[in-house]
Amino acid sequence: MPRLNSYRELEHLRQRLREQRQSITTTVMVCGGTGCRASNSQAVIDAVRDELSGQGLDDSVRLCVTGCHGFCEQGPVIIIEPGNIFYCHVSPEDAFEIVYQTVMKGEVIERLLYEDPVSGKIVQTEAEIPFYKAQDRRILSQNRLVDPCSIEDYIVAGGYAALPRVLNGIAPEDIINEIKSAGLRGRGGGGFPTGRKWGECMDAPGDEKYVICNADEGDPGAYMDRSVLEGNPHLVLEGMMVGARAVGASKGYIYVRNEYPLAVKNSRIAVEQAREVGLLGDNILGTSFSFDVDIARGGGAFVCGESTALMASIEGKVGEPRPKDVHTVVDGLYHKPTTLNNVETWANVPSIILNGSSWFASKGTKGSKGTKILALTGRIKNTGLVEVAMGTSIREVVFDIGGGAANGNSIKAVQTGGPSGGCLPLGKFDLAVDFDVLAEAGSMIGSGGMVVMDEETCMVDVAKYFLTFLQDESCGKCVPCRLGIDRMLEIITDITEGRGRMEQLDLLEELGDTISQTALCGLGKTAPNPVLSTLRYFRPEYEAHIKEKKCPAGVCKALITYRIDPDKCTGCGVCISGCVHGAITGEKKQPHVIDAQLCQKCGICRSECKFDAIQVF
Amino acid sequence: MLQYVNVNIDGATIRAPRGTSVLDAAIEYGICIPHLCHVPFLSDIGACRLCIVEHVVNGRSEVTTSCTLNVEEGMIIRTNTDKIRRLRRNLAELLVAQAPNSRAIQDIALRCGVKEVRYPFRNEDCVLCGRCVRVCAEIWQARAIGFVGRGKDRHVDYPFGIRPDFCKQCGSCVQICPMTIPPCDGPMKPGEEYLCGKCESQLMDETPGSCAWCKLGEGFGCGRYVGV
Amino acid sequence: MPPQILDTILEGRRSQPNQLIEVLHDVQENYGYIPREAIESVSQGLGVPLIEVYRVASFYKAFKLNPSGKHVLTMCTGTACHVRGSHLLLDYAISQLGIKPGEVTPDGLFSIEQVNCLGACALGPIVAENGTYHHHMTPAKLRKLIETLSRQETEDVQYAQTQ
Repeated sequence: MPRLNSYRELEHLRQRLREQRQSITTTVMVCGGTGCRASNSQAVIDAVRDELSGQGLDDSVRLCVTGCHGFCEQGPVIIIEPGNIFYCHVSPEDAFEIVYQTVMKGEVIERLLYEDPVSGKIVQTEAEIPFYKAQDRRILSQNRLVDPCSIEDYIVAGGYAALPRVLNGIAPEDIINEIKSAGLRGRGGGGFPTGRKWGECMDAPGDEKYVICNADEGDPGAYMDRSVLEGNPHLVLEGMMVGARAVGASKGYIYVRNEYPLAVKNSRIAVEQAREVGLLGDNILGTSFSFDVDIARGGGAFVCGESTALMASIEGKVGEPRPKDVHTVVDGLYHKPTTLNNVETWANVPSIILNGSSWFASKGTKGSKGTKILALTGRIKNTGLVEVAMGTSIREVVFDIGGGAANGNSIKAVQTGGPSGGCLPLGKFDLAVDFDVLAEAGSMIGSGGMVVMDEETCMVDVAKYFLTFLQDESCGKCVPCRLGIDRMLEIITDITEGRGRMEQLDLLEELGDTISQTALCGLGKTAPNPVLSTLRYFRPEYEAHIKEKKCPAGVCKALITYRIDPDKCTGCGVCISGCVHGAITGEKKQPHVIDAQLCQKCGICRSECKFDAIQVF
Repeated sequence: MLQYVNVNIDGATIRAPRGTSVLDAAIEYGICIPHLCHVPFLSDIGACRLCIVEHVVNGRSEVTTSCTLNVEEGMIIRTNTDKIRRLRRNLAELLVAQAPNSRAIQDIALRCGVKEVRYPFRNEDCVLCGRCVRVCAEIWQARAIGFVGRGKDRHVDYPFGIRPDFCKQCGSCVQICPMTIPPCDGPMKPGEEYLCGKCESQLMDETPGSCAWCKLGEGFGCGRYVGV
Repeated sequence: MPPQILDTILEGRRSQPNQLIEVLHDVQENYGYIPREAIESVSQGLGVPLIEVYRVASFYKAFKLNPSGKHVLTMCTGTACHVRGSHLLLDYAISQLGIKPGEVTPDGLFSIEQVNCLGACALGPIVAENGTYHHHMTPAKLRKLIETLSRQETEDVQYAQTQ
């Protein structure tokens, strides 16, 4: 593709590409995101491509390999336009039928349609699926339109229209004011007002400045950034270009965690393509604005999601945070003023420039404007990526979108904000997804992870899980985090193994308070949150572990026994052959028995038994 | 030309050169702020968190380490509030529970008001203060040792665990280590650790009005002894 | 260890300390781990003190200082996988193979790695074997996977012996 030397040339290119596609009558969008790839969507993509070629349809039908659609459990997913037909659980063998029946004859294949687990109804179009209908997919909906490895797709879809606007005589202060009026707040967890951050960086003295995209997304259970970066890297790049122009940066980095190889690959391709047409590099679109981006890979460290640790990592050092008495907007990467924002924050920028701050602020609450992408996972029927307007209640997200409990259990809690966040009980589900509301309740939006828990989730075990995670990921530099988390974990382990004492609960609170006030960085400061929030809302579970030495949810191994219900057991022997510890005995067709001394509660027998005969007490 | 600024520490106005840390300024004036990883001639890393103070800004007070906070004109600092004393005491408790087998750590615990240790004692011989690493890198420029590993695994080691030939064998790392000051009654056997409370630091009161030139400071090189 | 590969990796990056992590990634990809000689060469090539290279290699989970097994079982222990029982999978792998995460079985066939979220949460619990994702895993399915891989190894050895 030729280099674009002016805004007019970009628009001509857009026009030309759109004209070229006028002969396309049908578009087949196959999801090539990590989730669907894990369900073998590559084979589906190849099969559909072969079938389309075989039928000679390459000129009239466009096969678009898209990024993540967010409904990963239904993958591989295919959407066909016109008609908005949504097929799920597609296998390569279905390719022929899809092309012949649906693409060529316009007939819908019933067995590939989505069946709503709540109503039992078959749904034909994507728009009618309750999971999607209840959302507000300002950003995620764009994933359907583009092949992430195609800058043409992005341009045809209207991309790179915000960039020329900010290069054409709009002063950097005005760009920043627009972002400020929009009320955009950081989507990575901090919720810091983006406009203010950009303003401070612009004001910082120095000619050499940087912008960074934080795609480290270390929160376990969160994959919003992965989907946006994998699925629409040009959107993120364009946001960074606008930001660079505003603060006066000429170099940017996208820091992608090592565990996201596809996101690394797709962002590298996007950068190459942008360079090729001159949207990155010197004198972009014939103006004096020069800006280039490099991709930096993480090395497998959650702490590198913290801004100073991330910058140390880009500098080739260990990801150890440093004190932030002087902010990174003044003294950041290589000690230069640096604006670091999360993937989703950058992704929101182009639309604010194009549609205006009032448009952006028309959704959301007073303190939290716009939409937020959430990773809704856990014990519910519909798991996946969800985008909702700020102000939507947790109840709506969990029940209207998530479809409620997965297996007849009753939902008990939702964990938001990853390891820095907290657990909220069912009674708090009317709280809105809003930065300040959730923070006040003892949790936080964080990066957007939302894990739903039911009666089979032990809240003490959840606290232990997060402490173990944080202990593993702590850089180890400061005393409160390194020693404090270790001691909290020691106490919680005592509790889960039946050695807990009531006074330890007070010690947990005091130690938690000390860590949160004295730790050097955000990881340490927020580390006590899971413990403190579960203590606040689920204290009876802690007390049951301590006073009665019981785990009500049936999780803590030291406090439970596996037992076979003689009424349900058919004596089939599957569990006996499955048990690797030789703990089960019994004759054929006679109820089997588990020897509690030998049983290690590994769970194999429970996962093999087809009669649900093995109970946990 | 040194530029001086006025800062308010615990109600007293103190003049200090621009670029000095709050900790150094306080110590110079005889205000005792406990510290462990700070050594006057080495860089400050803010790792032990013992030197925390309250920095009052816009009516709000932020808890921050005084070794990494540089003096600014009109700054208001509180080193001895109830909150700071409580936080410091809890940090010192964590340290002494981890490494009771060191006179310096036991003395720090007493100085910070630790009266009971609510965690099972361990018997570690390193508190990861980083003094040895910094003296090797910054004074001798040898870089024969460094921090290796992460989190619970973090420890000081040679490359590959083998002493390299560029180690200058100067002994500074041993000299500057707070753990090598011998404990009063000899090494504590594993399982028989306790809070000693017998400090020779002459501290009857956990918050001295001004520097007492205590033995603790002398023993492990407090800023006042070594000189700012 | 062929010096040419290291030369290629260091090409264009010499005396640039900030390239350390990218260089170590390339070394890891080429050798499956970071050998001692590589750490020494990288230290000289980039101008980074030896202890610093060693430190960076030991800090980041992506870099292994020891070779892995032939089949690396990466167990995702992210929150979504955890509430779906991933700890049972990890416990099972540890007891069945007799090694802890980061270690290799004596026959060099298996090693276990633990990762805190692969980003495929809706499909959890996930176990990845040499990059292939297995989803909705249960202890029973994991047992089958290990048995299948072990059996495949035995068959390969027997086949090789007949040649």
